[in-house]
Amino acid sequence: MKFKDYYASLGVERDATGEEIKKAYRKLARQYHPDVAKQEGAEERFKEISEAYQTLSDQEKRQAYDDLGRHGPGEEFHPSPEWETRFSRGGGQQEVDLADLFERMGFATGGGSRRQAADFPIRGQDVEVATELSLEQAARGTEVSFSLSVPALRADGRVETQTRSGRIRVPRGVVEGERLRVPGKGGDGIAGGAPGDLYLEVRLAPHPRFKAVGHDLYLELPIAPWEAALGADITVPSLDGPVAVSLKPGMRSGQKLRLAGKGLPHRRDGAGDLYGVIQIMLPERIGEREQALYRELAEASSFSPRHHLEGPTTDG
Amino acid sequence: MDDDLLIPDDNEGCTVALEELLAASGLGHEEVIELVQFGVFRCAQHAPVWTFHVHTLSLACRAARLRDDFGLNVSGMALALTYLERIEALEGRLRELESQLPR
Repeated sequence: MKFKDYYASLGVERDATGEEIKKAYRKLARQYHPDVAKQEGAEERFKEISEAYQTLSDQEKRQAYDDLGRHGPGEEFHPSPEWETRFSRGGGQQEVDLADLFERMGFATGGGSRRQAADFPIRGQDVEVATELSLEQAARGTEVSFSLSVPALRADGRVETQTRSGRIRVPRGVVEGERLRVPGKGGDGIAGGAPGDLYLEVRLAPHPRFKAVGHDLYLELPIAPWEAALGADITVPSLDGPVAVSLKPGMRSGQKLRLAGKGLPHRRDGAGDLYGVIQIMLPERIGEREQALYRELAEASSFSPRHHLEGPTTDG
Repeated sequence: MDDDLLIPDDNEGCTVALEELLAASGLGHEEVIELVQFGVFRCAQHAPVWTFHVHTLSLACRAARLRDDFGLNVSGMALALTYLERIEALEGRLRELESQLPR
């Protein structure tokens, strides 16, 4: 069995009081709780913190843990035979993890663990898999394969990790962050409890052209200064092919051109919109003839774009 | 169940019964009723046969996690869920505005 240093997980000394342990846990929970923290690895870290706290916050479990002695984190060790007969059911099998042992200890003592004794039905665990789809897949709907580890109960009452795989039908019209629920396909229930649910969390892969915001898509749409000034018939890409659009004269940078119904489809009918965000572009170099024309334009125009910035401001 | 093609719930139309919500989240009956009163959970159908949109399931699981991991009471859960919802709405708005900026 691999040793885990629960005191180090919580950043407390081995002789810390119950109050100090609680304090350390609260501080770390606030920092790493997956519902609150968004940083990379927060969920893993929280599991570690919470596993440590489950054991150290319970006097009896903490004593049993202390009895294991000191080992380096990750170091292979074998609990004393006495310890094993006390907390471990069945022999020799060492694939169990320290957390499983303490969990079982909860079963044995009926102690304050969130999991109760297995003599009445306990619902199976919910499990979650994540998948990344392209915008095209999200728009059309697709199937994704998954493989995940679920805790399952063996005939002899031990918990073991099983790998399950399968495919999930993703309907069209899913959006970033959506969680699809497949009822009853999570972990097995215990003592006749219902199985948990399987959740598929959808992420949309970055697309080279479009950014998805809910069902709407945004596209950066570069146009030439003269197209902006005079209007133009242009072609705009969309998820289902190019669309012909007429630009009105007088487009400004940042203005949005809305193509209704050209975004991601909704589940049943209708679709989001596609927005072309206008960017007026200049070529990197302009030739002599172009320069001459711009100069002529500058002389002919009375346009003063910074008119409102002239003079002192009223509030000084 | 290898190679089974699993069909998820239809997120828009599907509802779950109160019992299912309680079993899946680990929240208590009273807690759910209070969270409905706070306006954090919206039911699809009120008493006598309560049903909730599938979306409420993930909210309920989150509420139970926050309760267990931070020792929150119902008001605490309601407040945390309201703030988290607001943060998510703001993050959505931020994404929307960022997609309008030139790259």
